[in-house]
Parts: sequence; C-alpha cells; structure tokens
Amino acid sequence: MPLLELREITKLFPGVLANDHVSMRLERGEIVALLGENGAGKSTLMNVVYGLLTADSGEIRVDDKPVKIKSPRQAIDLGIGMVHQHFMLIEPLTVTENIVLGREPGRYGVIDFAMARQRVREISERYSLIVDPDAKIIDLSVGMQQRVEILKALYQGARVLILDEPTAVLTPQEVTELFRVVRTLVDEGLSAVFITHKLEEVVAIADRILVMRDGAVVGETTPEATDEIGLARMMVGRDVVLRVEKGTSTRGATVLEVDDLHVADDRALEAVKGISFTVSGGEILAIAGVDGNGQRELVESIVGLRRPSSGVIALKGKDITHANARASIEAGVSHIPEDRHRRGLVLEFNLAENIILGDHRTPPAAKNGIMHPKAIIELARKRIADYDIRTPSERVTAENLSGGNQQKVVVAREIGRDPELLVAAQPTRGLDVGAIEFVHTQIIRERDAGKAVLLVSLELEEVLSLADRILVIYEGRIVKEFADADADAETLGYYMTGGGGSKFADDPAGKSAEKPLTGGQA
Amino acid sequence: MMLSNIITPDLFASALRMATPLALAAIGGTICERSGVVNIALEGIMLCGAFAGVAVTLAFGNPWLGILAAILAGVVIAAIHAFTSINLRSDQVVSGTAINILALGVTGFLMEIMYGHPGTTEAVVTIRPIFRFASESGNTTLGTIWHWINTVFLSHTPIVYAAVIIAVVAQWAMYHTRWGLHLRALGEHPRAVDTVGVSVLRGRWVAVLISGALAGLAGANLTLEQVGSFTENMTNGRGFIALAANIFGRWTPVGSYGASLLFGFADALQIKLQIFRGEINIPPQFFLMLPYVLTVVVLAGVVGRSVGPAAVGKPYEKK
Amino acid sequence: MSAAEAKPTPRRDWAVIVQKIGTPFASVVLAILIGSLIMWVSGYNPVKAFAALFQGSFGTPKAFGNTLLRSTPLILAGLGLAYGFRANLFNIGAEGQLFMGGLAAAWLGLVLVGQPWYVNLPVLLLAAMLAGAAWAFIPAILKARIGAHEVITTMMFTYIARYIVSWLVVGPLKDPGQIPQTRLLPAESQLPRIQGLFSDATLQAFPFLNLGRAHVGILVAIFFAVVVWLVLKYTTLGYENRAVGYNPFAAQTAGISVQWTTVKALCISGALAGLAGGVEVMGVHHRLFDQFSSGFGFTGIAVALLAKNHPIAVIPAALLFGAMSAGGGTMQLEADVPQKIILIVQALVIFFVAAEGIVTYFVKQRQKEATSNDAI
Repeated sequence: MPLLELREITKLFPGVLANDHVSMRLERGEIVALLGENGAGKSTLMNVVYGLLTADSGEIRVDDKPVKIKSPRQAIDLGIGMVHQHFMLIEPLTVTENIVLGREPGRYGVIDFAMARQRVREISERYSLIVDPDAKIIDLSVGMQQRVEILKALYQGARVLILDEPTAVLTPQEVTELFRVVRTLVDEGLSAVFITHKLEEVVAIADRILVMRDGAVVGETTPEATDEIGLARMMVGRDVVLRVEKGTSTRGATVLEVDDLHVADDRALEAVKGISFTVSGGEILAIAGVDGNGQRELVESIVGLRRPSSGVIALKGKDITHANARASIEAGVSHIPEDRHRRGLVLEFNLAENIILGDHRTPPAAKNGIMHPKAIIELARKRIADYDIRTPSERVTAENLSGGNQQKVVVAREIGRDPELLVAAQPTRGLDVGAIEFVHTQIIRERDAGKAVLLVSLELEEVLSLADRILVIYEGRIVKEFADADADAETLGYYMTGGGGSKFADDPAGKSAEKPLTGGQA
Repeated sequence: MMLSNIITPDLFASALRMATPLALAAIGGTICERSGVVNIALEGIMLCGAFAGVAVTLAFGNPWLGILAAILAGVVIAAIHAFTSINLRSDQVVSGTAINILALGVTGFLMEIMYGHPGTTEAVVTIRPIFRFASESGNTTLGTIWHWINTVFLSHTPIVYAAVIIAVVAQWAMYHTRWGLHLRALGEHPRAVDTVGVSVLRGRWVAVLISGALAGLAGANLTLEQVGSFTENMTNGRGFIALAANIFGRWTPVGSYGASLLFGFADALQIKLQIFRGEINIPPQFFLMLPYVLTVVVLAGVVGRSVGPAAVGKPYEKK
Repeated sequence: MSAAEAKPTPRRDWAVIVQKIGTPFASVVLAILIGSLIMWVSGYNPVKAFAALFQGSFGTPKAFGNTLLRSTPLILAGLGLAYGFRANLFNIGAEGQLFMGGLAAAWLGLVLVGQPWYVNLPVLLLAAMLAGAAWAFIPAILKARIGAHEVITTMMFTYIARYIVSWLVVGPLKDPGQIPQTRLLPAESQLPRIQGLFSDATLQAFPFLNLGRAHVGILVAIFFAVVVWLVLKYTTLGYENRAVGYNPFAAQTAGISVQWTTVKALCISGALAGLAGGVEVMGVHHRLFDQFSSGFGFTGIAVALLAKNHPIAVIPAALLFGAMSAGGGTMQLEADVPQKIILIVQALVIFFVAAEGIVTYFVKQRQKEATSNDAI
C-alpha cells in the first residue's frame, strides 16, 4: 500500500499546462527523485501535494484513502512535510521559535518555551541533526538553516518529506551530509521526495526516479537501470552536449587587475579579505565557490556598487577602485547581475527601455539630457534581432517575457555595449538548457573577440566548461588557482569547502596561491 | 523665569498625560506593523475615536460608554484599512491616507448634521482622576516627596494608567504567547507562516483591528479625559508622531511607550514655557512647533539604525 | 512562467485607452454613488445636492471660472505628487511646501515694489518654486541618506510651515489692521484675471469669457502639466526618476544614483507644490493669511492617484475635485448638505483607485493563482 499516491494530477496556468495528468506513488521507506528542468512542473506538483496550489483535476491518496489538501495545514496533518527551495524561516527568530511555529507547546495561548526547547532537542538528538535551539536563524550557515527546515517538518510529524532543490545552496560536503541525513530518516521509516535537476544527485540518492518534461512524466527508472547520459536525454528530450564547444583563444594584455582587495558586507563584516588577481583579454577567469564566500561583495566592488575598504582595482591600468556604477560602466565594465529581476531589469519598463538601461545618458539613446525615442527603438530592434530575443515587439514590458528571454535582454545590453570587461555573475541561474547554451555561447564569443571575462558561478559544471582559468574562493580568500586542464569537480569541491585551508594559512606556497597571477599570463 | 518654576511635579504629570494618546496609537502602530501592515491611518482613526467618544457621551451622559464607542469606532475604521490593504492588497500608505481624509470628512459631516455647526462641540462630562489624595506638602522633605509622587503618578485618569498596563502586557504577549510569536513572524516572512498552516489573513486582520481599538482609545483619552470636547482635526498630527515613536521605540510596545514619553515631555514643556513667553519674548508658534521639530530630529537620529519588520508594507498573496 | 511565451503587444488602440481610463472613471462614479447614499441616509436629497453642485461649478461662466480657480493649485499640487509617486515617493506634506511657496511669493511681492509685471510675475513664481523645493529638501536628504520615511517627515514639516506662516501673519508681516494677514500685493505682483485680459466689447460678444475670478494661473498650471509630461517621457531625468521608482536596485546597477534621484524627485515635487501656493496667493487672495489654502496639498494626493500619476491626466482629475470644491458652497446653500461630504467622496475615490476596483480584484485573484511559477 503506497503511503502517498497521486493520480492524474492536472494543473493549468494560463497558457501553460504545468502538470498534465501526472501520476506517482511513494512507498514507505522510499526515496523518489523527481528529475526535470526548470519549468518541467516538479515544484508545481509538490506544491499541489503540500496544499499551496490546488489541482484542476486528479486525486491525491494518503494511506490509500482519497484526501483533499487545500492548505499546508491539512498537508501537515496528513504527515506531509516540505523543505522549500527558498527557506521558510524567519531570520530574526530563534531555531526553537521557527521549529514550533504553528504548533507551539503550552496552554491558554502562552508558549512553554522550556518544553519547546526540550522537544527540539529530543528530535534533533533522535535523528542526530544537532543544532543550537537558541541560535537565531540569521546567524546560521545555509546548511544549518536547511537542517532547521528538516527538523521543523519532523516536529510537525512528517512521514513524507518533500525536498525541493535542496542542494542548490549547499557545499559538496553539506550535500553529502544531507544525503546521509535523508538516508537515516528513511531508515527510520520516513519517505522522501527529492526534487532536483542535477543528474549525479539523482543517481546517488534515489531508489526510484521519475523524469518530468513539459508538465508530464516522461519516464520512470532506477539508478541501476540508467546512467547520467540516459537521464539527461530523457530530461531534455534530445541528446545533450554536457560541455560547450570551446576553442583555444589568444590571451591578450591584462585588462582587469585586482590587488589586495578588502571589502565589507552589509553587516560591516569583512567579506573579501585581501584578494588579488588579473584577467587578460581573450580569457575567461572563473571564480568558483560556495555561495556566501565573498563573491557578491567582490563582484559589487568591481562593478562600482560597493566601496572597497582597501586595495586597488584597475581597468587597463586606470584606477577604478572608487568608481561608482556609472563611472564603472563608462570605463568599460559590463555586468550581468546574479539576480536579473532585482538588478538586471526594470520589469515594468518595456524592452526598449531596458535595452538602454545604463546607456540611457549617452548617444544614441540620449544627448544633453534629451532622449531620442527613434534611435532607442532602432537600437532595441537591432538587439532583438542580433540576440534572438523572442518577443512580438520592443514595446512589451520585461515582466511579460519568459525567463530565458529576460536574460537575453540583459546579455544583449551588457555585451552589446562592447565592454572591455564582462563580469558575469551566475549568468545562467534558473534558465533552461536552451537558454544556458545561448548564454554560454555569447560569453565564449566575447572571449574570442579578445575581451576579458570574469565569471562568478556556483555551478561547477559551468565553471569547468567555460573557464580558461579557475580561482577558488573560500571565506573571502582565493585559496587555489587552476589552469583549466588540471581541474575536476572533486578537487574544486575540496578547495571550495576550505579543504587545504589550514595548509594555506601558514605555508608560503599558500600565499603564492593568493597572488599567483603574474605568471598566469604566459 | 526660574528653573524651579518650570521643573515642577505637574510638568511631569503633564508629560505623562500628553504621552498617553501618542503611546496608545504608537503601540497600535507597533502591533500593526509587526504583522506587516503599515498604518498611516492612526491619525484618522484617533480622530474618529475622539468624535465617537464625545458624541456618545453627549447622547447618554456616560463617558464610559463614550470610551467604549471610541474603541468601537476605531475598530470599524481600522476594518476598512484591513480590508483594503489585506484583502484588496491596495497600497497601504495610500489606503491610510484615504482613511485620514475620510475621517476628516466623516467627523466634520456628522458634526454638522448632529449639532448643526462646524468647529467645536459642547463640553462633555469628563472622566475624573482615579485617586484624589490630599497633597498638602508642608515643608518637610517627606511632604515634598509625597507631593511629587502624588502629582506625578497618582493624579491621573484611567486611560493614562491603562496605557502603561497595555504597554507592559503587549510587550509580554509579543514575546511569550502564540499570538505574539505569530505576529513577529508575520511581518518578517508571511509565506513561512502560511506554510506552517497559520492564516496570514487572520493574523493581519486581528493586528490591524487591535491597532484600531488602541488608536480609538487614544482618541477617547484626548476628548474625554483631556480636552472635554471635540474640535475638527483636533488630533493635529499625533498619529504621525505616534508612528515616529513606534520607530524610535524599535517596534516594541514598551519602547513605543518610552518614545511617546519623550514626545509627551516636549509637549508638556512647550505648554509650560508658553506661560512664561511674556518674559522670554518668543512667539507661541515656536513652542507649538516643538513636538514636530523634535519628531524630525529624532527620526534623523535613529532611523538609520532602527530597522523595521522585513515584510512591512508588502501585501501578501497566497499562491 | 518560464515556459510561457510572451504575451501579445499592448497596442495603443481605443480599447487600451478605455481600459486605462476605466478604473478611475468607475472609481469616481462609485464614490459619487456612495456619497449619494450617505446623503440620502442622512436625510438629504442627493439629486438636488448634485444638481446644485453642478450648477455651482459648471452652471454659468462665472461658476466655471470658480472651478478653474480651484483647479489651478490642484493641478500643480497634483503634478508634484505625481512626479514624486513616479519615483516611489509619497510627498504627503505637499501642503507644507505649498504654504512656503505662498509665503515666498507674498513676501517677495511686498518687497519688490515698483518693478514691471513682466519682472515680478516670473520672479515671484520662481521664488515660490524654490521655497517649495527648499521645504522638501530636508525630508529629501533624510530619506536619501538614512531612509527616514518621507510620509512622516514631510507631514511634520507641514505643521512647522503652518506655524511659521501663522506667526508671520500676526507678527513681522502683519498688515497694520485688525485681521492677521499681510498687506495686499501691488498690482504688478498679481496674476491677472482672465476676463480682465479682454475688452468689455469682447466680453459682451463672448459671454463665456466672463470667468469671474479665474486667473491666468490656470495657464501656468497647464503649461507645467505639459512640461512634467515631457520631462518624464523625453528626458534622462524623467527616465531615471521612473527607473528608481520601479526598481531602485536595477537603477543603481545601471549607474543611476538612487539617493540623488530621490533628492531631485522630492525637491521637484516640492517646487510644484510651492508653485501652487504662489499661484494661489498671487492669483486669488493677493495676500497671505493663515487659511489661504483649503487643503490643496492634500487634495493633490487624490488628484495624482486618480490621474494614475499621468501629468496630462492630472488636469481633468484636478478639474473634477476643483468643481466639487467650487460647487460645494452652492450645494450647502441650496441643498443644505454640509460641504464635508466632498472630503468623504474624495476619500472614497482614493480607496477605489487604490483598490483597482473590486471587479479587477476578483479577476486578478484568479490570474494570480495562475501566474505562480514552477520555481517557487
């Protein structure tokens, strides 16, 4: 008897069939992986199960009885727990407060915090998920926060644990730890649904694999019966080139020079602790690292959004350390921001207005403060054609474009400006395979045109396939440099998580790893 | 003008009185904003409470009924704000502004149709101080101390004490009860609250209604305990000062009360100083400006370091 | 939505325009209906009331002149609010800047005696704008530097402005008479009445030009409506203003200084409100006193919201509220309805515009459910 069963679930959004008669079942003590690209309908399906969305048709059965799940409360009562991709944790509150939220022990509305803490401790010991019950969420690492999410589901009495892209924000070591935890839970009799688009994870963790594409289940298999290539083909519906074709390029003169840079984060803590490197023309330098190790602050200081506390940033020999964003653009720095909705686009602006964002003061867009609508439209049409932006016209507002086309607008603008240096921060986040290929091609083309590219990415796949040279950042320091050929995912992962950190701390050779880059131009 | 003529027990007693309507509204604002809803409407709600209190007291001769009516009026007006900003997801500041204009219109309109004239209503029976201890001070030290205690702390009307109790109780409740935990969570991350099965809509509604009740009570304090009649637009920006007090008090009830004390003291001081204006030759308008200037100064001094709830002002959409 | 294809282009055809005007229009109708209901419940005859209101605002050329008179400061204040809203700033204290604009015009008008009108009028109007901008400057700086909410600070500055004016008209600037007000401005500092521009013969031939007290300030107001529209649409200043209003982070990334744009936006907003005050003093009262503004700065909020922050649409929106204000007296006189009902209607208009109409709410409710995407 399956613990959870979905029969013919259908969910229609305007213009999109998000779930098309999807059926699945989950047995006790089983881990089912839902594999699919962004937009394949995995999260929609699980949101239906968790009561955040209501299906248009279909049936959900728990313990072989049909149930209606209209709210998360009902899902929780049925023993379904969910760890969301974006954590549902309240940062200023404590671990205990977050875990017991909604089911607080106590009476007459008064919370018995001693009891609450006790229960949290019990559960965390039982599943060996150790956390400090009195710590505030904001002070915890991402991995710890995820642990709190899992504890929260367990506290609520989950028998089914839905994990939505749980590894997206984790270090390789934390991923290993998560897999161990999930295994333990399943051994204790729980079941888990593991949503992901990463092939290797599926193979590592799942008992059974359901592959989704365009809202429908296109295949079911087991890790034993297939491999990553086969899964990829099933997921995308065609053969996938797992690496972009990239020729050799000739390295030119130094374009960007960063020397002993120190940058503080929003909380005034030092996030970049003395980083030095150079990027040359015709070169893609990738900065690999786990999220939150100073990449954001590094990028923001280079593009003029954050003032470094000390150090030097120079572009073609010109000091731009204290340049603001405008001066940085004018000096020839382009920036594909990590969050296109927050920093890359004004969603309410139309495509033409977005195409000139940052170039809106200078010809052809404007002169002496007066804008030239005709020239702007002409430019927009040219970019639409050159970068294959799928839109009916340049007057469509950005919010009405698909994610891939939105990113094309950003890429078209930033590369179309013909910069000296392109800073690309997580340029393919949340894109489907087609759009990823497009962005990668553009970045390589930029390199081949002799421009300098600084790529910051959390995706090892992306780093390995694009980079000519790789720097690994860990806790605000560059801990290792690789020329392309020497790198592999395991070694990168080792350094990304502070492996070898102690060695670098007092070893002079470690110092040279922080400033190795004069020789790198050979 | 002697300093001893200014620093008298009744200056501090007056500060407590002046602080009371601000504090009640500010605590209301705190609760409302902690739930994620901005309440610019405090000003208008207070005005409606002030009017309802007077109207009912005039009709029935019982100021206690008046207080009840003021609270009720506050809740009703707040319900409009709750509906537009929570259910209709209107811009909360715009909705609050509309309520402030509505309050001016409704109170003025009702005044004219009920009493036949604009301006100020007849005087009402006001609520007396609870304790009435003799305060013959004599010249003994003990007598002076008693005189100070009696005047500063024991000379007040019920709502003045109620405000202190409300501040303490609200503070306790915010950090020790289910309601308080949900409230603190709502303003930070409503979706997280939703996903554990607690209703965001209901939580915010309750918070907005409570803020309405408190602002209504603040209005009752103004008319039924302090002034003794209703005048059009008599709140005179107190709702906005209360919002500043809430920020200065870092979104906590006791902090809001403390900040209100500061503003109340400024108000008491300017009233006191006006008595001596013949001697110091400063136009009264400059004293009247003082609370507003102080509000700006306080905001300029603390706002950068005082951070509000993360999701405040953002309408919540269930998926 | 990642899988969704782009929606079709919004074409500028009649359907779109109707759709854009639809919500404000429906809001006004609904507000008037509810206002009527309130009147009826209170024992008044709403038909009679609105007939009187209409008569008092559009019934005769003189009545229409009154409407224009009231609309003039409303257009300017509404433009100020709209410009601020476009940068996501709520200049709720436009009334204070309006007071300072009026003060500047009155003071300078009394000082600059003996100059020709073509010197005085522009100088006074400019002074009013500068005064309004200056009064918005401190809240603007506080907003830009430390994020102090402009709703509280500009509101406080409104009270301060009122007390300053109230002190000056009983003190230093007082007319040596009983009434607390300044002396009358000399003729060369007064904005002429429209009917004064025409000869008696012309006025007799074209009776609709007998616009009573309406003055040329209305032309100033319309001129600035066009200017603000051009600025928002065709200048980098306007582009940056809108970019910051929609998405300050993207604007900042594009090298736009959010702080500086905020300061500029609030000061321009203040300048327009100040101009409203100056025009009111120079065109209507010809002197300064305590109550020279009947809350034009606050009504400007309703005007801007009803116009959906479009500078040209501000003109009809201001005319609507100007007409209510002009006809309010007649309404009170003939139908006995307290003028305060107009404030109620005004508040209702704001509610409905802000709520985008209950109908749209229910439509959206269904769409919103639909647009949540897979990645959430």
